[in-house]
Amino acid sequence: MAFSKLKEVYTPQSSEEVVKLLKQHGHGALILGGGTFLHGLSARGLLPDVEALIDIQKLGLDYFTPSNGVVKTGASVTFTALEKQPELTKAPWLGVLKDALEYIPVQVKNMATVGGSLASSLPLFDLPVAFMTLKGSVVAAGPKGNRKISLDEFFKGQFENALQRGEFITEVLLPVPPRRTASAFLKNEKHANALAILNVGVSITLDKAGKCEEARVVFGGGVGDVPVRGRSCENALEGKRPNKELLKLASETVEADLNPISDHRASAKYRKAIAKVLVERAFETALQKLN
Amino acid sequence: MARKNSATTAIGKSAPRPDAYEKVTGGKGFTINLKLPGMLHARILRSPYPHARIRRIDTSRAEKLPGVKAVLTPKDVPQTKFSPVLFEPTLAATMVQDMLILSDRIRYAGEPVAALAATSVEIAEEALGLIDVDYEVLPAVFDPEEALKPGAPQLYETAPNNVAVGPVFSFGDIEKGFAEADYIFEGTYETQRVHTCYMEPRVCVADTDSRGRLTIWSSTQHIFGLREKLAFALGLPESQVRVMKPPYIGGGFGGKLDMGLHEPICALFSMKTRRPVRLEQTRYEEFISTTRNPIKMYLKTGVKKDGTFTARYAKSILDTGAHATHGAIVVMVHGFFGFLLPYRCENKKWEGCSVYTNNMVGGGYRGYGCPQGAFAVESQIDEICEKLKLDPVEFRLKNAHKEGDPHPFNPGFTLSTYRFEDCLVQGAERIGWSERKAAGSGRGSKKKGIGLATQPLWVSGCMGFPDIYEHSGAIVKLNVDGTADLAVATVDLGSGQIITLSQIAAEELTLSPDKVRVTAADTDTVPFDAPAHASRVTYSTGNAVKAAAASAKKRLLEVAASLLEASPEDVELVEGTVRVKGAPKKSMNIADVVKRAESPFLVMTAQGPQPTSVQEKGTIIGVSSMAPPSNPSPATAEFVEVEVDTETGEVDVLRVVYAHDIGRVINPQGAEGQVEGGFQQGMGFALSEKISFDQSNGACLSGDFLNYKMPTAPEMPTQIESIFIESNEPTGPFGAKSLAEPCVIVPAPAIANAIYNATGARVRQLPITPERVLAALGKL
Amino acid sequence: MKKILNLQVNGETHEIAVNPADTLLHVLREGLGLIGTKRGCDSGGCGCCTVLVDGKAVYSCMLLALSAVGKSIVTIEGLSTDGKLDPLQEAFIKAGAVQCGFCVCGMIISSKGLLMENPHPKEAEIRQALSGNLCRCTGYHKIVEAVRIASAHS
Repeated sequence: MAFSKLKEVYTPQSSEEVVKLLKQHGHGALILGGGTFLHGLSARGLLPDVEALIDIQKLGLDYFTPSNGVVKTGASVTFTALEKQPELTKAPWLGVLKDALEYIPVQVKNMATVGGSLASSLPLFDLPVAFMTLKGSVVAAGPKGNRKISLDEFFKGQFENALQRGEFITEVLLPVPPRRTASAFLKNEKHANALAILNVGVSITLDKAGKCEEARVVFGGGVGDVPVRGRSCENALEGKRPNKELLKLASETVEADLNPISDHRASAKYRKAIAKVLVERAFETALQKLN
Repeated sequence: MARKNSATTAIGKSAPRPDAYEKVTGGKGFTINLKLPGMLHARILRSPYPHARIRRIDTSRAEKLPGVKAVLTPKDVPQTKFSPVLFEPTLAATMVQDMLILSDRIRYAGEPVAALAATSVEIAEEALGLIDVDYEVLPAVFDPEEALKPGAPQLYETAPNNVAVGPVFSFGDIEKGFAEADYIFEGTYETQRVHTCYMEPRVCVADTDSRGRLTIWSSTQHIFGLREKLAFALGLPESQVRVMKPPYIGGGFGGKLDMGLHEPICALFSMKTRRPVRLEQTRYEEFISTTRNPIKMYLKTGVKKDGTFTARYAKSILDTGAHATHGAIVVMVHGFFGFLLPYRCENKKWEGCSVYTNNMVGGGYRGYGCPQGAFAVESQIDEICEKLKLDPVEFRLKNAHKEGDPHPFNPGFTLSTYRFEDCLVQGAERIGWSERKAAGSGRGSKKKGIGLATQPLWVSGCMGFPDIYEHSGAIVKLNVDGTADLAVATVDLGSGQIITLSQIAAEELTLSPDKVRVTAADTDTVPFDAPAHASRVTYSTGNAVKAAAASAKKRLLEVAASLLEASPEDVELVEGTVRVKGAPKKSMNIADVVKRAESPFLVMTAQGPQPTSVQEKGTIIGVSSMAPPSNPSPATAEFVEVEVDTETGEVDVLRVVYAHDIGRVINPQGAEGQVEGGFQQGMGFALSEKISFDQSNGACLSGDFLNYKMPTAPEMPTQIESIFIESNEPTGPFGAKSLAEPCVIVPAPAIANAIYNATGARVRQLPITPERVLAALGKL
Repeated sequence: MKKILNLQVNGETHEIAVNPADTLLHVLREGLGLIGTKRGCDSGGCGCCTVLVDGKAVYSCMLLALSAVGKSIVTIEGLSTDGKLDPLQEAFIKAGAVQCGFCVCGMIISSKGLLMENPHPKEAEIRQALSGNLCRCTGYHKIVEAVRIASAHS
């Protein structure tokens, strides 16, 4: 890997120590989660100035605790550890996470961490889209203490996010939604190691009458610099009873929210075309979980 | 599926590969593992521009970095133009000599500019950044049809309009043929650039002895070709180069059929520093070093109502990239075996053109021009059958060659065994062809369909090709423990040459396959063999191995006859024992005969010391070096079932049935493995694989396995069935012909045809991405 | 600056000097001579470098050696004991799953990781567990078969 200046890999024992190291090394420091994206950063020429890696595996951030209406996931939780949480299989509202984890090769799942996948801030990843679908927010620890940042506000561009200098992600918070909530995730790309051409996470909450109380749609993959909310689609569903016709209608609206990229893997036109299909199918899957 | 055959001791059995044990415990024998004391590590500086002249290279900063031991720039290397293709003589008429080890003219992004050798890879990498190059950037052209137009950037002064070669062949009267046709079909079919994706990167180590003689270890498909090309490029006599045979290599598939630039670069560094020098290519470098040439094919075909061909015309534009390399020869094989020869037709014409562009160079890849041809031809046959409402199985049979016909490429040979019809009939039955539904008739958004494609004609080696090496040799030596050593120059690419050749030697010697051991070899010690390519090893090298084993057997029988006090005509070898015919009790096993032959003059026996005779003395050894007697054609048909998601365009291959006439099957498990792996390569070519470039600057966008999508285990069909129709080829070793390549050639058209059958949508461009399927369905 | 560290590999502790940027793959191959772990792409895509870390399959080209301190690493060399092959190794030979063999050590290690967690996987689970391991020779068919054979014997 193209680290020409790397001098030290630290394994601090506390958040305070991490903050101190971040301060000490400034732009030369990089937080190390599972490290599965180091090659990606290296290939993009983003590592040469890194002189210190701060491996946060010893901070005890490997918890997954549902309590008081919030599910807290430590930044160091690996994808595999996350996948093994019984809640992921039991709770339909977490379906989007469970689904998103299925595409990833086991070697990556065994190393990659929740915190790392978010901090990398690459819209092509799957997990950030899933967390965003669940209205997730991150807790950032920094020199001024901890602060909570909604994922809706977190992603600022490719490899850019709302973290300030000296801050790092310690956990992800997911608000537990009303009981009749389910979510699902779909990705267009069959090849295990390839990044999404387009992916989508959806979540839906039904009221007692079976109408859509709240819907959430998030697109990732080749959609631009950050994951994109499908607000038109959400609006089209909310307050209505979701049936086949409504889903079709709602999925047609995604075009208004999307301005995807064209690259060597697919055109913007294709991405738009399948966005509709994936949204419709993902909602169908989510709704099945509520029946 | 073990084939029961009581009449053989080795042939037709799924004998385990002797190298498998070593490979599952670590695989020491890969060239990538070789380390020598004092070894230096070389790295190559590559051009960021697709077309440029180098005005100046300043290596002084790099040379000052501690650990850097030597630097090469264009002025430090011989300026002898060569072709890197290993299987033809350097100056063969079909070879285009247009390459230099390093040149001050750059013709593709990634072309080597300079190289350096240092005490570690890390230092070498760092030093690359210290080489200053002043480029004069030239306009580049990436599309071969653009490159043919007047005014396009010119790559070579010697190649007007960027044409590397432009062969034209015509048979009969094409105009008359079209006039006689009831229908004329025209179509354009296009294939992409794909990589062989051998898992072991190209790597070599070069060392120089005290008198300047070079020794090379390399992950190559041809040790003798490498010796020849290296000696030529460096201006050395061939005897000054010794190429060691790797015990096995981590795949080749044609991608290691040329001298890479890492080989002469390491050699030059070693000659300069008198130290061993190693260079291992990164995966990114691999992706820009060799590829199957893309071909755009314009087809025009005349047929009678009943499906008889009356005229076949094609024009093929092959993108050969920055240098001709294989592209000059691929186009010929493509024209003949991919278009002109597989079916009977009196009137046919083909115009080929290998065009220089500022793209990466081409290379060998299983099928060598024919996957591109078959995609066009076999897709169009499907279109013809759809239009004329003919059965694609019958259509092919109507136009196919027949067993006993003269060989269409080598009229001196006959299609002595040719069971194409059985392939089609048995394959069709297995897949349930008669149940096939009308195109696009399925309901729902996911539609299933069945498709067929064939490669009616193929080779077992290159006998009859005027410019291509085609002879083989072997040494078989019997040991005092009753085993045999087999020495051949053929490299095992993974396709099982080690075991199939052992089985052939064992059969001749009436041994079980585990009694034959393939030994180390190098260009100093074994007879020449053409490379492991062109589906040739089982047939061609197999014949040589059989001959060497027969020669050893002959000597064995002579010695044994002397010991048994019989005449050589009266003794026979049965299951490892020499016995006097009609007196089975008068016998000796091979070990005892060999011991006697290898013994000193007095041999100790239970009866005391006994003198042996001079006639019995000497290692029992057989040597052969010969060309094969013929070039028999295998025949192949493939049927696939797919499911197409008509809303996303995604294609799943559900089931595959292959039917092959490959002659006698030497190792059934090995043969199945070849076919299953062949399908993966064919499916990747059909659906997902593509080396992509940024069209603004020629930079490779798919230089890793995240962006280059070769099929993974979950994407593959769970059912891949192989039917082997075992004709008994009279000229083959124990009846064998060949297998390696057709199984890679047929999947793309079979899948395209199955997609058509499922959806009614035809895609004439590879890879058939989900996007292209949706576009063909009119949904984009 | 090199650092001295202790790595637990195949049940033994190795003291070795590494650069901070050295990957576990690099240290296993160049430092410890454990050449069964292959470098096929060095960018986390081919699976040839797969090893077990604390019983889980990972790409050793993605893991810094320094991050592997204190963990139990198993390479292909650690699977066979006293010359006796692991059932997976036996099964790969028997099923004809070995062709060029360059991917095979990674395949076996990934399969080992799977069988340790799920001794009797379904075919789809086997294929999924191998989705991060590429093979160009076999089409995976006989590899999947080998894992099935090995699982039947466990």
